[in-house]
Amino acid sequence: MNETKDIAIEVVGLSKSYGPVRALRSVDIAIGRNEYFVLLGPSGGGKTTLLRMIGGFTKPTAGRILLHGVDVAHLPPDKRPTCMVFQSYALFPHMTVAGNVGYGLKLKGMSKAEIQVRLDAVLEMVGLNGYQARMPWELSGGQQQRVQLARALVLEPEILLLDEPLAALDEQLRKDMCIWLKHLQERVGITFIHVTHNQEEAMSVADRIALIADGELVECGDARQVYRTPARRFTASFMGESNLLDGTVAEVSGDGTVTVDVGIARVAVPSADATAGIQAAVSVRSEAMRLIPRDQAQGADEQALDAIYQEEIYLGLMTRQIMALPNGQTISVRSVSDDDEAPAFQAGDAVRVVWKTAAGRLHLS
Amino acid sequence: MQDDYANIWGIRLQWAYLLAVVFVLMVPVFYNLYISFNEFGFGAARYEFTLDWYGVIFTDRLLTGAMGWTLALALVTVVFVVPMGLLTAKLFKQAGRRLKLTVVAVMLLPLFVPADIFASALLVFFKQLNRIFQTVAEMTGIGAFETWFELGFMTAVIGLIIYTIPYVFIVILITMGRYRAEQTEAARSCGATAWRAFWDVEFPQIRAGVFSSCAFTVILAFNEYVRTSTLKGGFDTFTSVLVSQMLNIGMSEQSYAMGGLISAVAITVIGSIIVFTLVRTDRLQRIERAKAQPVGAD
Amino acid sequence: MAGSDWRDRYGTEGGGPRPASLGVMARVFSEDGLGKWALYAPTVFVILFFIVPTALTVVWSFFERTMFWMEPGFTLFSYVNFFTSARFENFLFSMLHSSVSVVVSFVVGFPIAVFVRRHVPTVAQHRVILLFILPFMVSEIIRTFMLRPVLGRNGLVNTFLTDLGVISEPITQILFTPTGVIIGEVLSFLPFIVFSGFLAMEAVPKYIFEVCQDLGASRWRTFWDIIVPLAAPGIFAGSVFIFVNGIGVALIPSILGGPGAVNAGLIATQAIIALDIPLAMAVSAIMMVTLFGLLAIGHRLFNLTKILEPQA
Repeated sequence: MNETKDIAIEVVGLSKSYGPVRALRSVDIAIGRNEYFVLLGPSGGGKTTLLRMIGGFTKPTAGRILLHGVDVAHLPPDKRPTCMVFQSYALFPHMTVAGNVGYGLKLKGMSKAEIQVRLDAVLEMVGLNGYQARMPWELSGGQQQRVQLARALVLEPEILLLDEPLAALDEQLRKDMCIWLKHLQERVGITFIHVTHNQEEAMSVADRIALIADGELVECGDARQVYRTPARRFTASFMGESNLLDGTVAEVSGDGTVTVDVGIARVAVPSADATAGIQAAVSVRSEAMRLIPRDQAQGADEQALDAIYQEEIYLGLMTRQIMALPNGQTISVRSVSDDDEAPAFQAGDAVRVVWKTAAGRLHLS
Repeated sequence: MQDDYANIWGIRLQWAYLLAVVFVLMVPVFYNLYISFNEFGFGAARYEFTLDWYGVIFTDRLLTGAMGWTLALALVTVVFVVPMGLLTAKLFKQAGRRLKLTVVAVMLLPLFVPADIFASALLVFFKQLNRIFQTVAEMTGIGAFETWFELGFMTAVIGLIIYTIPYVFIVILITMGRYRAEQTEAARSCGATAWRAFWDVEFPQIRAGVFSSCAFTVILAFNEYVRTSTLKGGFDTFTSVLVSQMLNIGMSEQSYAMGGLISAVAITVIGSIIVFTLVRTDRLQRIERAKAQPVGAD
Repeated sequence: MAGSDWRDRYGTEGGGPRPASLGVMARVFSEDGLGKWALYAPTVFVILFFIVPTALTVVWSFFERTMFWMEPGFTLFSYVNFFTSARFENFLFSMLHSSVSVVVSFVVGFPIAVFVRRHVPTVAQHRVILLFILPFMVSEIIRTFMLRPVLGRNGLVNTFLTDLGVISEPITQILFTPTGVIIGEVLSFLPFIVFSGFLAMEAVPKYIFEVCQDLGASRWRTFWDIIVPLAAPGIFAGSVFIFVNGIGVALIPSILGGPGAVNAGLIATQAIIALDIPLAMAVSAIMMVTLFGLLAIGHRLFNLTKILEPQA
């Protein structure tokens, strides 16, 4: 979706402090026009604060918010070209669906007939035609969220802000709504900024993801890229399920790999630039690892660590095997469950954990 | 959550006790009404129903005048105190922890200070202010605020505002407690100014609390005696006439009728608020049930 | 998309049309300077016309008495006058009567709060408590004055009891005695122990009762070991209220009490009438110190902020 180079929103050095507590520390982000952008991170990390500052609900302590190059940081929400969808409870309970959706148009002073036309069109779009006369409490959670979307979209905002819009829904409905939201965004073609703490939700809707934790922008990039090749150690620990090994860079070889001393062994990881002696971490996704008996050797393009087998946890589609490294750290390896196989190892067995050298990722911060 | 093993008669007994206590609290009021309808007044051997004593009230010029002043006091107090309660409740909602506690402490303190102490302090305060202003006027010739705090209608209203504001604040705060701030933000997001968001979205949801606090204020202001009579200056109010009658002439048939009238009005207003609240809670419960079983699948 | 219309919007003043008459309120509710300060105005008003006057009573109590008013100075005369006269004795007696009223109100009223919390369905609890608003909304003038005919020689109680044959001679030992004052105080202030007790009971989760039953605690033990400690802040607040009003409301002893029934409120009122302003202020100051002293002790013991905090 980000074929246009147009920037819709640019946030420069944005900070927010509540007394001594710094909720957000000098964040810079540029979000393109017509992009589905996700702010992902653990709760309390500052992502909602950032979204609320873009929407005009929270005043920044410092920094600028540029919408199409115009600084709007001083403007209240009703004077910004943004519209917000909240987690829940945000429908006006004393108004019908039509009253809710038409409220913004009424404020604009639009005629009743015109409101009616737009109302029907937008309700059609969100699949709630015929629900005009319902009261909010007569709707299910998913329908309520779609009314909220209609209420926002009918105003034709340039940027739609979604604050944990699916968090109050149950698992299955959330998955369906993710796909629906993605398609909706493609259809209306405006910028969506979506806040969530749910990684799967983020992956399924986002063009680009910004990971925010502890009030800082950790990493920002294409959804796949953030998942597959995270640059920062935190990203690797937050996205998916990775095993992390901390150590120091021991040697930089010319062939594009770096050897890291992780205490119990040395492992090689692909990397372009690093200097020997600095702190580093190596991460490998748990599904990229596999388990072999101790007496078997790894392949030429593989790295290996000795470990003691502990237990197996059957998760349905996947099975997780847990090992202990000599230094006590646990390593988890996930693989697609085999139906008929009895467990290949017993607790206490000496095993090796191996992975393709290319699957390792080096994190210098 | 009901205790299936509870002794049903034990619970009925406790209900009976509760209602008996309410009844005993109301006995003086009922007895007053009973006497006021007797043509022969208190302690007479005969009882004959009459409304004559109430007729007497409305022909007494002193009383009708006092009634007018009382009503004016009550209405002016409402006009000031309800927006004040509303603003303070809003302040409370958006305040930090420390400010919240300060606001609650300041607003609820008038509830704890006994009427006569409250009235004496305010009386001396106003008189002292007045003396200071008069001295200033004599010295400088600026008489602009010389009469500001002379005892009168305004000082009585100030006393009544302080007296009623705790109740107004609590009632509005409780109704506001059910309101979700997201709705204001959603309205702002739709392009409403802060005022429109309040008027279109928040106010309709706290209207019941605002109206009840108006009713409370009118009743409290109507019933109030010590503070008003201390701070009012020249004119008479309903309760001040009633008390001076009772103290000077003793309990006459007319004073029973006045007491009966004022109680009947209060009971009717509060009674209808209670009934209205019952109906409303029933409606809210129905909504609650409807929420539990949403109409139509997703 | 709605290309440029938001840029038009953001230069203009308001957001859409609104009636001109609402302009003032609109300003009050906007977040700019004026609106922000308007929120504080009522609190400032209460501080100015209530907290300041009550605090100043302490200052004025040290002033010199003049013929019709008082003049700045520092004298303990009013305090000496209060503590060395019969007033102080009366004051102590009114404290005693007030304490009895607190105990009676607690015994009669608090079980109601517990019962409502325990056995009434949650949605209906507030309505039941609302019943106690009803007597409170009738003027205390009427409720107090009417106790004269109710308790009097040929009043309601005596007539009723004589008709039942329980007594042959009317009881005349109630009205114009301390008993009359205590009855008056209990009937006037009982609703408050029910309200504050109920508020405090809201802090007691309902499952507590089931846990106690499960552990085999008797009703009595449950009450003293669990309910009273948990509800202590509310019980205390209600008790302070009744106690302070018992010694501060002049109406009850002056209508229902005998010649010696004089409490702080009555002393202050009489001092004002006698134009002994510093004495009235000294009595007020003593009352305020009593009130704040009790609240401070309560706060240390039970952390009163627990009930002050959020009913919202």
